[in-house]
Amino acid sequence: MHVHNYEKLWLGASLLLIVGFISTIVYGAAGAGITMVNDEGGQVNPQELGNTSGFDDPGVTKVGPNEYEVHVVGIQFAFQPSTMEVPANSTVTFYVTSRDVVHGFEIVGTNANTMVIPGEVSKITVEFDEPGEYGIVCHEYCGAGHHSMAAELTVTEPSNFTMQDDTQTQTGGNETTNATATPSGGESA
Amino acid sequence: MTATEAEAETDSAVVGEETYADGTLVRDPDIEESLSQDEYDPKGTLALLLVYFLILALMWTYMYFVEFLGNGATVIG
Amino acid sequence: MSTPGETAGETVDSAREMLPDNSFLIQYPHVSRVVRSLFLTAFVAFGIGAFMGVLQALHRTGVARLVDSADYYTLLTLHGVLLVIVFTIFFLAGVFAWANTRSLDRPPVSKRFTWFWVATMSVGTAMAGIAILAGLIPSTDISADVLFTFYAPLQAHPIFYIGLAVFIIGTWLAGIDWFRQYLAWRRENAGERIPLQSFMVLTTMLMWFIATMGVAVEVVVFLIPWSLGIMPAPNPLLTRTLFWFFGHPVVYFWLMPAYLLWYTVLPKIAGGRLFSDPLARVVFVLFLLLSTPVGIHHQYVDPGIAEGFKFIAMTNTMFLLLPSLLTAFTVVASIEHGARQRGGTGYFGWLKALPWRDPAFTGMALAGLMFAAGGFSGMINAGMNINYLVHNTIWVPGHFHLTVGTAVALTFMAASYWLVPRITGRKLYSRPIGLFQVVLWFIGMVFMSAAMHRGGLAGIPRRTAEPQYPQVTFETVAGSVSSLRLQLAFGGVLLFVSALLFLMNVGLTAMNNKPARNLDSALPPALSGPDQSPTVLDNLKLWALIAVVLVILAYSLPLYSIVQGAGLYPAGQEASPAVIAPLLEVIA
Repeated sequence: MHVHNYEKLWLGASLLLIVGFISTIVYGAAGAGITMVNDEGGQVNPQELGNTSGFDDPGVTKVGPNEYEVHVVGIQFAFQPSTMEVPANSTVTFYVTSRDVVHGFEIVGTNANTMVIPGEVSKITVEFDEPGEYGIVCHEYCGAGHHSMAAELTVTEPSNFTMQDDTQTQTGGNETTNATATPSGGESA
Repeated sequence: MTATEAEAETDSAVVGEETYADGTLVRDPDIEESLSQDEYDPKGTLALLLVYFLILALMWTYMYFVEFLGNGATVIG
Repeated sequence: MSTPGETAGETVDSAREMLPDNSFLIQYPHVSRVVRSLFLTAFVAFGIGAFMGVLQALHRTGVARLVDSADYYTLLTLHGVLLVIVFTIFFLAGVFAWANTRSLDRPPVSKRFTWFWVATMSVGTAMAGIAILAGLIPSTDISADVLFTFYAPLQAHPIFYIGLAVFIIGTWLAGIDWFRQYLAWRRENAGERIPLQSFMVLTTMLMWFIATMGVAVEVVVFLIPWSLGIMPAPNPLLTRTLFWFFGHPVVYFWLMPAYLLWYTVLPKIAGGRLFSDPLARVVFVLFLLLSTPVGIHHQYVDPGIAEGFKFIAMTNTMFLLLPSLLTAFTVVASIEHGARQRGGTGYFGWLKALPWRDPAFTGMALAGLMFAAGGFSGMINAGMNINYLVHNTIWVPGHFHLTVGTAVALTFMAASYWLVPRITGRKLYSRPIGLFQVVLWFIGMVFMSAAMHRGGLAGIPRRTAEPQYPQVTFETVAGSVSSLRLQLAFGGVLLFVSALLFLMNVGLTAMNNKPARNLDSALPPALSGPDQSPTVLDNLKLWALIAVVLVILAYSLPLYSIVQGAGLYPAGQEASPAVIAPLLEVIA
């Protein structure tokens, strides 16, 4: 088959680009340790979240010396809980699922970004180095009130952080019922 | 343009000449030459695409290592 | 427009007699009518879709909110479906009907069959369109506010899904029509190489047959029975995956007709010859093979899919860059050939010798230039872990407004300036307006798309009526979010004006009483002809078979594991909105 030499050269350059791109991604995974959301989160029944460990009481839990879990439920049109607080320089694992339709979960200004699919649990582990206020938005269209679906995450100085176990539980529990009654309560807390 | 076309319409010599639907590309036989496969090396194309290659490589590097890896917290598990 | 008196001696009808016998309109008046009818639907959809687009650009930026934010999503559904399904596919069906007939030099086998698929596509479109529009009328209880991706358990009225299925069947029938036309040609031309344009039509349609299996199963097996109340809600991850099985190759279904025009029409308009027929065939074969087993790259951040499957999809996707990068070389070299024949010199000086005053040329060239930029943001989208940065941000619409919204749409508009005179016999109403219009589209898209890309990097989400949240601050690298909003809205307005100018120009052309002249449809032979490539390239059965095998390899394990996870009909899935009474209950 006849191919002009210049085009052979371009073909070589193109293959170089492709291999370079794939190598960069492999570096990100193997070198920088970036993991994709995968099937580790398992499955849940969206109507039975109240009886599912973790999602029955969404919010922050301390699970190790410097490790926290955050269970988040997406509903039309809010996140439960709508405010979360974790200490900086800790390892935080988010478990996110949906009680109704497909939602999204993006911590704005970070690479924490996942789809939220009813029946599936998205599990992502993140480390926050700097204290700060982060917004969380639903980035997948989920119905007429989609644009009001957002939440807040506060990353606190470790010295100022106190795990408010009881109050956190209480707040989370209340919100579950509140949000059911008023689905637009994205800012209720 | 209108004038040219008006002339063209009355000029029977134009009919059959290789103009396009709207007289878009009126070919000028004085400057036109026919380049065969052997006579033509697309050096301009190669030059343009090598510039594109450089842009892609630089932009990719910037996007991955500055915008992405510099973008705060990242999923590590 | 010209007055009747001015053209008394030269109306279109009498001018048709003056057209050369080898012009497409004289040889194939019936196919010309089919193409005109398809283009008409495409252009009406384009006009409405573009209007929805400018409403959204003004709404989400907060410049002017003319509708309720809840209705924004109805308009967004309409925008997506009308532009990327109706406009693109009706137009490309017209291009394919023209190209297949022109290059095989014989008409389709049955006029009745041709009109049957045109009607099927139109009926499907009307059904889906009615379902979407009814969403604006609350009293009807009919709606389809599900956007272009219609992810379950968001639910549309059954006529939306049924219309979609009918439309897809119409496109299949169109493909069958073109294959019958080819087989009839083959009987009389045993041993000949498939003419290039026909080769492109056939490989594209083979790709489409394979790609649409995903959406056909999704809609017919799961969504229609569910929306009718016969079956429970399907596994949302499964239907998403089936959607993207179709949802990525569909972008090549839009793009390949644009490539057909770039490979075959653009060199002619530039005064050159196609640089390489063999590589053009290789490119279309690569698209047939690689377009489908890549859809999971839209699901990089989906739960329930193992990282290994995502990595395989990424590798396939990266190699799918190859046919586009090869196209860049072949097409630019074909244009350069024209420039050099017309006296162009130097490494870059030849660019001045191109026919920049021709809207068909300039439109396609600018479309190609934008595709180079869109190609870059597509490379970012193709990267697996970097997807965390951009997934579902407005970066993504920024990307596809460069690709389908410019590489494809602007090529279609530019090609219309060349093709519409050939299927109507009427002279283009105004070349200067055409030139202004394509340049305006380019400028508008530079503003809108750049703002979208930058907004996406700041984390601003896509698909939302009001990306302004009390809890959230978006931080851009340079410039303020409010200036990005203004740029987006400004670009959107320019694009809408450009769309109106295009529709006006084409509409006035269709009514123009001046005859088009010198309607030469013959394409110059390629510099490197088909004789310089192996005949195995024309073995369509072989390539189709390999394509199917690749799809099975890429999809069987992920689909199996998704079904293993939550099952086909997981417990606890409920339709939203719940107001739609299932049809069976209504009948009962």
